Amino acid sequence: MDEVPDLLPVEPGYKNVLRVRLALVWLFIAGAALIAAYALAEETLFAAALPILALVTGVLVVAVAPVRIYRRLRYGLSDRLLQVVRGWLFHTDTVVPLVRVQHLDVVRGPLDKMFGTASLVVHTAGTHNSIVTVPGLAPDRAAAMRDVIREHVRTDFA
Amino acid sequence: MSEPTLPDDSAVGPPERLHPWFLLNGLRRSLRGIGGGYALVAYFAVSGRWTSAIVAAIAILVLSVGGTILYWMRFQYRVGADEIRIDSGVISRRHRSIPFDRIQDVDITQGPLARLFGLAEVKFETGAGDGRRAEDGVLHAIALRRAEDIRSLVRGRRSHAPKSVAASEESPPVYAMSLGRVLLAGLFNFSLALFAGLIGFTQTVGQPLGIDPFRESFWRKLFAASAPLEQFVLSHGVAAVAGGIALLLLIGLLTGTVRTLLRDYAFRLDHVGAGLRRRRGLLTKTDVTLPVRRAQAGIVASGPVRAVFGWSELFLQSLAQEEKGRGNHELAPLARDAEVDAILGEIGWRPVSGAFAWARVSQAYVWSFALALSPLLLVAVVQSMLLWPLAVAFATGLLVLVAFRALEWRRIGYVLDGDRLLMRSGWWRRRLVLLPKGRIQSIDYRENFVSRLFGTGTLQFGVAGGRAQTHLIPAIPTGAARLLRDELLGSVP
Repeated sequence: MDEVPDLLPVEPGYKNVLRVRLALVWLFIAGAALIAAYALAEETLFAAALPILALVTGVLVVAVAPVRIYRRLRYGLSDRLLQVVRGWLFHTDTVVPLVRVQHLDVVRGPLDKMFGTASLVVHTAGTHNSIVTVPGLAPDRAAAMRDVIREHVRTDFA
Repeated sequence: MSEPTLPDDSAVGPPERLHPWFLLNGLRRSLRGIGGGYALVAYFAVSGRWTSAIVAAIAILVLSVGGTILYWMRFQYRVGADEIRIDSGVISRRHRSIPFDRIQDVDITQGPLARLFGLAEVKFETGAGDGRRAEDGVLHAIALRRAEDIRSLVRGRRSHAPKSVAASEESPPVYAMSLGRVLLAGLFNFSLALFAGLIGFTQTVGQPLGIDPFRESFWRKLFAASAPLEQFVLSHGVAAVAGGIALLLLIGLLTGTVRTLLRDYAFRLDHVGAGLRRRRGLLTKTDVTLPVRRAQAGIVASGPVRAVFGWSELFLQSLAQEEKGRGNHELAPLARDAEVDAILGEIGWRPVSGAFAWARVSQAYVWSFALALSPLLLVAVVQSMLLWPLAVAFATGLLVLVAFRALEWRRIGYVLDGDRLLMRSGWWRRRLVLLPKGRIQSIDYRENFVSRLFGTGTLQFGVAGGRAQTHLIPAIPTGAARLLRDELLGSVP
């Protein structure tokens, strides 16, 4: 189920969002490794390898992962269904019938604002997987999709 | 504190209070709620400061009693024409209004003491997401007659058709359990977990207390009078162990039976206008109405032993939560296939005990599991260098696990039956899920790097309410998953 033709890619700016987010995570890990290295410095000389290893891994992840995540992330909106496809190692393909949507959010975090993206968050009544997110959309596109989906929202189990 | 008078106060009926019985019950509740307080008292007592301990104990008592009385005084509810208002809180007031249209069902629970006073606890389920955390709307103690009035009022509003509870009393129940059936259900409720727990108990805490049925001394004391048996047990350590296991099995069976008897005594399911009404309980009686239109899925559960005797258990997954977070509403604790079909027929669902053309899933279900276990074979190799019997036992254990997985695989299947999806799973915990197409909230198809090697993935369905982990089809071939998904969502209105 890899390439379904009517699926669209998200904004290229989303790659930058991912880069910054991953960089922050790995900076935190490298910092923790640095502290650990100081603590262990007297026990073994290899302690210094910890922060270096973390830093190298971090750089590699930031360089490689965002492009791949971006390439794998596709979404599609038909008049009845919303589909989100993401991931390779752990691949997920989610389909939500629009009539099942309970409510909708358009979310913009500080990183989203920096790179001109937004996330559309769709809530269903399901217990499992009740929140489906489409990240990396252009803000107008997210708002337009929200309006399309909103037309279908109704509580049909009342 | 003056009450803000709302203009439409007259439309929501006169204010009513809880029965004073609540004071006793609420006190118990609040005394139970302050664990830290007791720790403080205990700390004072242990460290020898008796005055402080007594002062703290009195303070706790006064605060609890005062708090409960204040809460009771400030708690009012009003039953209006189309909503219920509950005003509560001492310092921060909360005015909650629950429209009848949004009430999923009305539960009436009667504890043993409340039954003596003719009181009941009424719970309004609105199916709001936080149903497990916050109490949606609970009236802790009101007269049973009033509770039934309120329920028939709500029910009348909900179904838009007047009906009398009295009439349904006379019609035969949809399903009912005799005492013998309840006891039989109790036998099947024997819990392996409890059994394991008991063994653990006797081996740890029990030993210093002298309660260890695996020891000869335990039996020696027990049968001090009968010399021959004592001789037998003393001379045969094996007999002591066998006796210990038998005793624990007996305890396990007894607790299962007692628990089931308390919960399911006089189990009765009736059809009332909008849904099914379930009454059960020996000491604490519960009376729950389940609106059928809120049903999201049905689950028929069984086990290898129960299946041999042709018994199964029926649950209904509904938007409203069962009490104590059990998730699904139990419709029948122990029923024949025909009875399950009868109950399903009563709520307008087709029977499930027919022969279906089950589609099987890929054998990858077994092989990927074996692959995941394979690193453990290294452990066996290491063991074989040290102590070969251990290695054999370990390897056998792994084989048994894989064999169980294969047994499970044989049972897994799914079939699209008209407007519903049937999913079968499990060998030890057998489940048959009935999922109407229209109740599917979302569908996830998941692959990972291992399952992709086998060309399979997991199809997971999002369903509202309940906590069922069973709404998934594991190890389904990619093409079949895609086909099934298109068929399911293609018919969504």
